[in-house]
Amino acid sequence: MADKQSPTQAAVRARIGSVPVPSGGLLTTASALAVLVVLAIVYAVGGQSPQLVTQAIITGILLGGVYALVSVGLTLIFGVLGIVNFAHGTLLTVAMYLAYVLVTSAGINVYLATAIVVPVLFALGYGIQALLLNRLMRPGHTAGQLLVTLGLSLLLANVLLLIFGGFEKTIEPPVSGNLRIAGAIAPAPRVIAFAGAILIAIALTLVLRRTRLGLTIRAVAAHAQGAQIVGVDVRRVFALTFGLGTAAVGAAGGLILPFLAITPSTGEQFTILAFVIVVLGGLGSVRGAILGGLVVGLVQTVGGLYLPGTRALLLVFAVFVLVLLFRPQGLFGGSS
Amino acid sequence: MRMRIPISAAGVVVLSLALVGCGSSDTGSNDTVETITIGSIHPLSGALAGVGKMMDDAVKMAVEDINARGGIASLGGAKLRVDSADSQGQPEVGQSEAQRLTSSGAVALVGTYQSNVTQNVAAVAERAKVPLIIDVAVDDAILQQGYQYTFRIQPDATGMGKAGADGLAGLSEQAGEPIKTVSYIHIEGAFGDSVFAAFKAQAEAKGITVVREVTYSGANFNDATTQVSEAVAANPDAIVVTGYYPDSLLIAQAIAALAPDIKAVYGIANGGFDDENFPGDAGAAGEGILSANYHYDATSDVVADIRERYQQKYGTTLQTAGVLSYQAVLVIAAGLEAAGSTDPVKLRDAIANLTLDDPLLAFTGPIKFDSTGQNINATAIVMQIQSGRVEQVYPERFATAPLKYPAVPVA
Repeated sequence: MADKQSPTQAAVRARIGSVPVPSGGLLTTASALAVLVVLAIVYAVGGQSPQLVTQAIITGILLGGVYALVSVGLTLIFGVLGIVNFAHGTLLTVAMYLAYVLVTSAGINVYLATAIVVPVLFALGYGIQALLLNRLMRPGHTAGQLLVTLGLSLLLANVLLLIFGGFEKTIEPPVSGNLRIAGAIAPAPRVIAFAGAILIAIALTLVLRRTRLGLTIRAVAAHAQGAQIVGVDVRRVFALTFGLGTAAVGAAGGLILPFLAITPSTGEQFTILAFVIVVLGGLGSVRGAILGGLVVGLVQTVGGLYLPGTRALLLVFAVFVLVLLFRPQGLFGGSS
Repeated sequence: MRMRIPISAAGVVVLSLALVGCGSSDTGSNDTVETITIGSIHPLSGALAGVGKMMDDAVKMAVEDINARGGIASLGGAKLRVDSADSQGQPEVGQSEAQRLTSSGAVALVGTYQSNVTQNVAAVAERAKVPLIIDVAVDDAILQQGYQYTFRIQPDATGMGKAGADGLAGLSEQAGEPIKTVSYIHIEGAFGDSVFAAFKAQAEAKGITVVREVTYSGANFNDATTQVSEAVAANPDAIVVTGYYPDSLLIAQAIAALAPDIKAVYGIANGGFDDENFPGDAGAAGEGILSANYHYDATSDVVADIRERYQQKYGTTLQTAGVLSYQAVLVIAAGLEAAGSTDPVKLRDAIANLTLDDPLLAFTGPIKFDSTGQNINATAIVMQIQSGRVEQVYPERFATAPLKYPAVPVA
């Protein structure tokens, strides 16, 4: 840190703060503590058997892992590019069907298929941004992008419906069986997906913080025009970011396929929650997406013990509003 | 100016040709009738698209079969045609599609697989005075509003609940290990709530107590572990499940993973447990699952032939829901024969007085509608997944395989 910074330097530093900075650690600890306190209360005076609460927590964490997987890609796209990507859930479905085809026709292990799906989805995302959305990236013209992604979502979902039909498709998971954690069951494929979510988050964070590409992406996120002035090909960076976000969704699809039956509309159920999680965690923050996903997953399952069914979502949105009241930029959002 | 007259003359000619070609379902007379339109409303997109398309295809196949046999004899061999509509699984869309179909000349409607959508479509049918034949939708409430234009072939919720409770009590007592307590997991909404309420009432009469009711939302449901844990925590003798295919699959998997100490997993009006794709998707988790539901008559050659031809034509298996759709078209055709008219009001009266023998489903008698439009001989039977196949196990007269009880799947 220089002793004396120009106003521009200070402004740029403040904007780049959307990636974890020293205070991020404090925030993580604070949020984790808050969650633990609430859980302790549930155990103590919740009126449910401890065994049941433990199971709800484990299931909630695993569910949170699934949500995090889906949201990590969106936080990049929404956070960096500012694009309301309604096609996010459908791209997840595309990834799942692609993995499904690889597994059933070529007999590949699904996790290996995931490694193939990731670059394919990267290319797809790159293409969508480069060919479609870049033409609409004018300041103040966000409605166009929203409508295009919505239209894309409908197109992709119905093409999948045309090709595969509406019946559920499942695969035999290569690793099945259940782990026992604190007396609660945790199905192996879901644990693997959770581990995958953490790995992807670490990989993305490393890319963002340690590589030149990551620096360029953060610069463009902070101030696109400024980055352009210093010679960054902003449109190419947009496409790379969208590709990166979609690649993350590709990994999500392959990891989720082993335990979820897929139909052309499966991915869509995640879209709205993914947006909630991304805003909750802070736009552009990978750590925020993970934590946000975990929070939403836990609220859904533990809250579902008291408010079953759709009403559990009431709690999710209540938590969402509460967090935003005290921290409008989201848990790890940048300070602007 | 000189060009305008030929164009408007051409326009008038085209219009008149179109009106003539449109068919005469609005003339109401029974001579020179060319094609009769039946509207088919099912979810062709969304989470239930698989079963919706199957039912729609079944309607189309039934229409083709009837046309191949000479169409409607009393109307001079008039042929039927299908106008398919996508409800998208949503009540508002089903409603607007029903309005479109009734105002464009459909003499009858078939649909819709979902109770909440069917409720709206029934209201439209009543206003438009066009008969709606429900192939699948269980909620009692649909026929409790005094509607004259809605008919249901399948058992209603009360019938399902009663057959479910009788079946569970009967088969468990027969095997010497009676069920006394159950936990009931069901989907929120008209479908799940109505079947649960009916079961609870009838079960009490049979000495079965519901110790825990667990509900879930069909949207955004991708892990049933918490719900099943809640059900298991109440220590029931059996777990009863009412839901659609995707949620029931998740529930079966969660039950197998938790491996509770219960005697049976029992579906009532369940959209998944007796579907022939279910054993493949569920694997070991599906083994032994019981299902009290409507079912096609597995002992009938006519049904076997229909299902075989459907398999050849569409490449997928025709499930009971599709057989009900096929049956609905037969009901309409029989009504048209009896009425000798394409006037929907006369068709409605003919259907109300119909007695249709040899239904395609495992029912206790011919199809005959009571004053509310409910088929009085509709019943549910109990099926069981055994070695990857769906067998009929109870009552005896419908059984294709012996009952295995207790039967709890393990992962």
